[in-house]
Amino acid sequence: MRQGTIINNVRLKDDYYKVDFFAPEICASARPGSFVHVRISGCGDHILRRPFSICNVNESGELTVIYKVVGAGTEALSRLKSGDECDLLGPLGKPFSRPLDDEVPVLLGGGYGSAAMFMLTKESKTPGVALLGARNSKDILLSAEYRAAGFDVRISTDDGSDGLKGRVTDLLPGVLKDYAGRKLHFYACGPMPMLLALAGLLPDLGYPESELSLDHLMCCGVGACFACVVKIKADNADGFRYARTCSEGPVFRADQVYLEK
Amino acid sequence: MADLTTNLGGKLTLKNPVMTASGTFGYGFEYHKFFDISQLGAVVVKGIAPFPSHGNPTPRVAETACGMLNAIGLQGPGVEKFLHGEEYMPFLRRTGATVIVNIWGKSIADYQDVARRLEADKAGIAALEINISCPNVKAGGIAFGTDPVLAKEVVSAVREATSLPLITKLSPNVSNIGEFARAVVDAGSDMISLINTLTGMAIDAETMRFKIANKTGGLSGPAVKPVALRMVYEASHAVDVPVIGMGGICTGEDAVEFLLAGASAVAVGTAIFADPYAPLKVIEGINGYLDRHGFGTVAEIVGKVHN
Ligand SMILES: Cc1cc2nc3c(=O)[nH]c(=O)nc-3n(C[C@H](O)[C@H](O)[C@H](O)COP(=O)(O)OP(=O)(O)OC[C@H]3O[C@@H](n4cnc5c(N)ncnc54)[C@H](O)[C@@H]3O)c2cc1C
Ligand SMILES: Cc1cc2nc3c(=O)[nH]c(=O)nc-3n(C[C@H](O)[C@H](O)[C@H](O)COP(=O)(O)O)c2cc1C
Ligand code: FES
Repeated sequence: MRQGTIINNVRLKDDYYKVDFFAPEICASARPGSFVHVRISGCGDHILRRPFSICNVNESGELTVIYKVVGAGTEALSRLKSGDECDLLGPLGKPFSRPLDDEVPVLLGGGYGSAAMFMLTKESKTPGVALLGARNSKDILLSAEYRAAGFDVRISTDDGSDGLKGRVTDLLPGVLKDYAGRKLHFYACGPMPMLLALAGLLPDLGYPESELSLDHLMCCGVGACFACVVKIKADNADGFRYARTCSEGPVFRADQVYLEK
Repeated sequence: MADLTTNLGGKLTLKNPVMTASGTFGYGFEYHKFFDISQLGAVVVKGIAPFPSHGNPTPRVAETACGMLNAIGLQGPGVEKFLHGEEYMPFLRRTGATVIVNIWGKSIADYQDVARRLEADKAGIAALEINISCPNVKAGGIAFGTDPVLAKEVVSAVREATSLPLITKLSPNVSNIGEFARAVVDAGSDMISLINTLTGMAIDAETMRFKIANKTGGLSGPAVKPVALRMVYEASHAVDVPVIGMGGICTGEDAVEFLLAGASAVAVGTAIFADPYAPLKVIEGINGYLDRHGFGTVAEIVGKVHN
């Protein structure tokens, strides 16, 4: 366990906040897709940690998390100020693979998922594509930052308040057309229904090795309690096993995900 | 520095009185990254059955005020993989930790099978802890631990299968804990441990759904501590064997309360999720308390709460 002193904690827009922790040891080994498990100070009778994807790290030991206030834990976090401390465990979880030099990374993000994948912009030699989808424009995050990193940013919203009116998967045909002949590698993080849809879709499009970050309600965060499991295909009578998203994931190959019939 | 060595009825000697609670510390492997687990009084591993088991559908946990509900459903590798899989018993043997294997089954024969397999490969295993809070499939799903006759049968069957020290972990979901303590001790249990989780429920008003897929789950954490203390007190007055107390212990002071109530050793569970180092802090806390109050050993305070 390492203390993370808060350097900055600011509202980005609406319910989204950005917090920078001073956590040099965690920064040293953070990778895209890995997460920190945070014991939020001042959280009253809430005893469990809250997991957050690492959005960014820098050489000064600053670790950035982007979070949405959805309940008591994130609400308490939003009230913390510069100089306050939280216990951080991390970096935890099996991260995304490093993009290969000849691949165009295509990121599909919903909500805070675009934060969870942001560090891929630093590991990728080739500028990639960022497909950001959400219910409405309020939940579209980091589009300017992805553009600044040279990524081709395309947006979809359910209500058409930004970009294409529709689902993030509706952006796929355009990408496949515009990048025909290039080697694509897909990465995704977002709400479970979106990820399950992609687990059905991407292997059929010829991309079984696509990587999906499946987060799930967590408890210990380190593989000890079996709270956070998802169904992964397995060579047994039932065809699946429950894998721990905190330690065996959160990143799984699309063709490993077991889809209910 | 007090002497923390803890002798449990001559059957089992621990470096100190602090164990991990089954199901909250995995198989030790996960936490060895944080600290040397051989420093603990004992590592009690997650429940082992004769067969591998998927566990329950998700969501499996829900946070509640000062606690949590879980219905993990005893997901596990089964006894063969536990004995031979690299990250299980072979790993634990290498660490030199004192290992207590928690066992469960769906029938009395299951309990006996798993105990027999562990008996045959018992190097590095200090004791077995029998989790009787599981439903008996053959008896229409009633938990072994809520029927004194069934509880006694399970313990007798395991007793026949092994010479390892036996701890029976009692369910708190009964009205007379003393009766169960006596039943399992009569059947040959060398010690008892309690409490397992209290059956509870959580509902999300907004979505009008149960918060965990199994509908009911086991409550643990600081919220259960007063209930646990009362049950440890009652059980320790009902039997003469050592009692291992647990339920909501987070600090050394919490642990001392259990010792004063009559426990000879304690286990830390849910607190580990908030702080992986909690069991080590509890050891330090007990030591500090003994020093501060001029006690030389843990045994000097066991059951010493004033009337
Ligand atoms: C690996 C991982 C990475 C994550 N990264 C981020 C991130 O970068 N930014 C961010 O804002 N959030 C992230 N989350 C989700 C975040 O952990 C939850 O929003 C947070 O725990 C909610 O805490 P709370 O006390 O505010 O809300 P609670 O009161 O605990 O919950 C409020 C609502 O949020 C839902 N919820 C809780 N946990 C999750 C979860 N894990 N996934 C989906 N819904 C959840 C609950 O079901 C409930 O409806 C991540 C989760 C995981 C597992
Ligand atoms: C996630 C979780 C899993 C558990 N799994 C088991 C188990 O496999 N076998 C068992 O005997 N008890 C199990 N328990 C019960 C604990 O060992 C302990 O008895 C109970 O949680 C009370 O202690 P605590 O409040 O310190 O957690 C589990 C508890 C939790 C929270
Ligand atoms: S949260 Fe405990 S195993 Fe994943």
